[in-house]
Amino acid sequence: MSTHLAPVPGSTTIDVALKIWRYNSETGDRELKDYEVEAPDWATLLDVLDLIKDRVDGTLAYRKSCRMMICGSCGMRMDGAAVLACKTRMYDIVQAGHVPVISAMGNLPIVKDLVVDMDPFWKKMKAMKPWLEPGYEEPPEGKEFHASQQQMNVIHKEALCINCGCCVSECNAMESSPEFLGPQALAKGMRFVGDPRERAVVERLEDYNSEHGIWECTRCYFCNERCPKGVDPRDAIAKLGAESIKHGIDHDMGAKHANWFVTSAKTTGWLRETELVPKTQGVVSSIAQMKFAMGLAKRGKVPPPIPPHVAEDVRQSRALYDIVKQQGRDGALGIVQGEHALGRIEFAEEHGTKTSDPEVQPGVEPPHAEG
Amino acid sequence: MRKVAYYKGCLASLSAKELDTSTRALAPKVGLELDELESVTCCGAGDIHEAEPDYYLHLNARILAYAEATGADTLMTVCNVCTLNLRQANYQLQIDDALRERVNRNLEAVNVPHYSGAVEVKHLLWLIAEGEGYELLKQAAHKGLKGLKVAPFYGCQILRPSKLLGFEDPDRPSSLEAIITACGGEPIDYPAKIKCCGFPIIQAREETALGELIQPIEQAKEAGADAMVTPCPLCHLSLDAWQSKLKKATGKDFQMPILHLSQLIGVAAGLEASELKFKRHVVSVQPVLEKLEA
Repeated sequence: MSTHLAPVPGSTTIDVALKIWRYNSETGDRELKDYEVEAPDWATLLDVLDLIKDRVDGTLAYRKSCRMMICGSCGMRMDGAAVLACKTRMYDIVQAGHVPVISAMGNLPIVKDLVVDMDPFWKKMKAMKPWLEPGYEEPPEGKEFHASQQQMNVIHKEALCINCGCCVSECNAMESSPEFLGPQALAKGMRFVGDPRERAVVERLEDYNSEHGIWECTRCYFCNERCPKGVDPRDAIAKLGAESIKHGIDHDMGAKHANWFVTSAKTTGWLRETELVPKTQGVVSSIAQMKFAMGLAKRGKVPPPIPPHVAEDVRQSRALYDIVKQQGRDGALGIVQGEHALGRIEFAEEHGTKTSDPEVQPGVEPPHAEG
Repeated sequence: MRKVAYYKGCLASLSAKELDTSTRALAPKVGLELDELESVTCCGAGDIHEAEPDYYLHLNARILAYAEATGADTLMTVCNVCTLNLRQANYQLQIDDALRERVNRNLEAVNVPHYSGAVEVKHLLWLIAEGEGYELLKQAAHKGLKGLKVAPFYGCQILRPSKLLGFEDPDRPSSLEAIITACGGEPIDYPAKIKCCGFPIIQAREETALGELIQPIEQAKEAGADAMVTPCPLCHLSLDAWQSKLKKATGKDFQMPILHLSQLIGVAAGLEASELKFKRHVVSVQPVLEKLEA
């Protein structure tokens, strides 16, 4: 199977040592086994697993398909961090003398060795209705639906997802609450909420504002850190929150919590901490928290709201709010500001150039680097 | 002395005043002259970023503009969440000239100074974990910690996303360990030191948050820590104040003292009790102090 991996005579090879957590779900047996193989110096983790399976131990189980970071099959953990095996080069690791530990992804049941059961993952993705809801205005006969680059920038990163599960593997909220929809599903949801052709935006946002939806994200940013494709799922979840509030869907305690920060900034400048609990949870629930709050108050952790702690020149931050609200960068559009693509478009609009122009025109030699 | 603009944020102004007093007392000992920003507001804590993202950007641009107006090249934070929010806004403003121009026009309309994009946002931890700050720290920590076993707890938003933070390896950070060691303590290693304390959802999803919070405290306890230290007042609040809720939910009474970074160094540097303000903690720090006096 791995003839392409056979070292070519005279080429450089490396000796790769790995430890792999083997697991048998039928017996529950778990064992950390050592492996060492000779591999080409360009070998990825996936290439090394292929060599081990081919030459050392045919019973090793892992998923793979495309070998080029597009199918999303080979998600697994290296030293506790989720990676795509096909994207992870071994050369530097070997040179550093490090022996990495390979294990199955987290937050999903293990079937065997490095293979996880993706059913819970697909169920959550399906719950997002990952398709465009019909009903949008059909373009005239023979024409395409035209979406501007600026509109598509809002979901550019979300559209890069390959469903590998690396983000889900590391999600801290999901470790504590397995029902949380999680970073992959919510990023997929944003991909449709932000699509200019989508006609069920409000219904989607209502759905995603559920008990285990948008507002259960704990902002640990592991998903952004691990995603091998740059989707930045946490940013997608923030976009869903911003779109929800823009559409007036703010019944969740998470949305109320977020809105109270806006109110605080506009009125006193600093967070009005003591009022945050009743403004988030409501008065009845806050009374239930009274005993806990009294304990904190004894230690000065519940600053009295009167007189309020007012920032100097707070009038400026109030005035800024009114100015900003008139400029129409609400919702997800506000979050993608400053990303490179959007910057280029604003530049082009001001300078009258078309951004759809390719950088190199047909028939014109592209510039070559010197040397 | 290195002059830095000092942004203390909401918690150090209110419920975590002990963070502010200990930071101020420590600063000159580690070569920092603090120029405190007065005309500033909350950074939005990720919440305004989610509710009103354009307003979030302007509030943070305003903070950065006042920092630049002090003449310092660095804005020092003492909170993970402030650090990420300010660095994220700074990044947006730095890479997009048209955006920065629009924001500056809006700032000008309300008489806020112009922001050029030149300020760097750095957490106190980063200023003392290497270079001259670290050398001065070693000298300042003359009283030592007598081998006190301290579990470093980083929290999330000083490590991830690393493309916006990037001070150290987000999976194998070592700055807190270096500081604990320099102060004469013994750093304790445990897996959850880089995980989430649950604070951002502790009000909206308390059960989920408590399921996160228990991990670092339980692991630190099992690893034999006398205390935990964190660079973030939000982590501090959940680790310290919500321990009683963990006890109620799980029956486990950890009694784990939680120190702010500036307090841990402050103890080793001999700061006064009035500057450390341990009485403001919910879980008593007394066992730590007794161990050091023994």
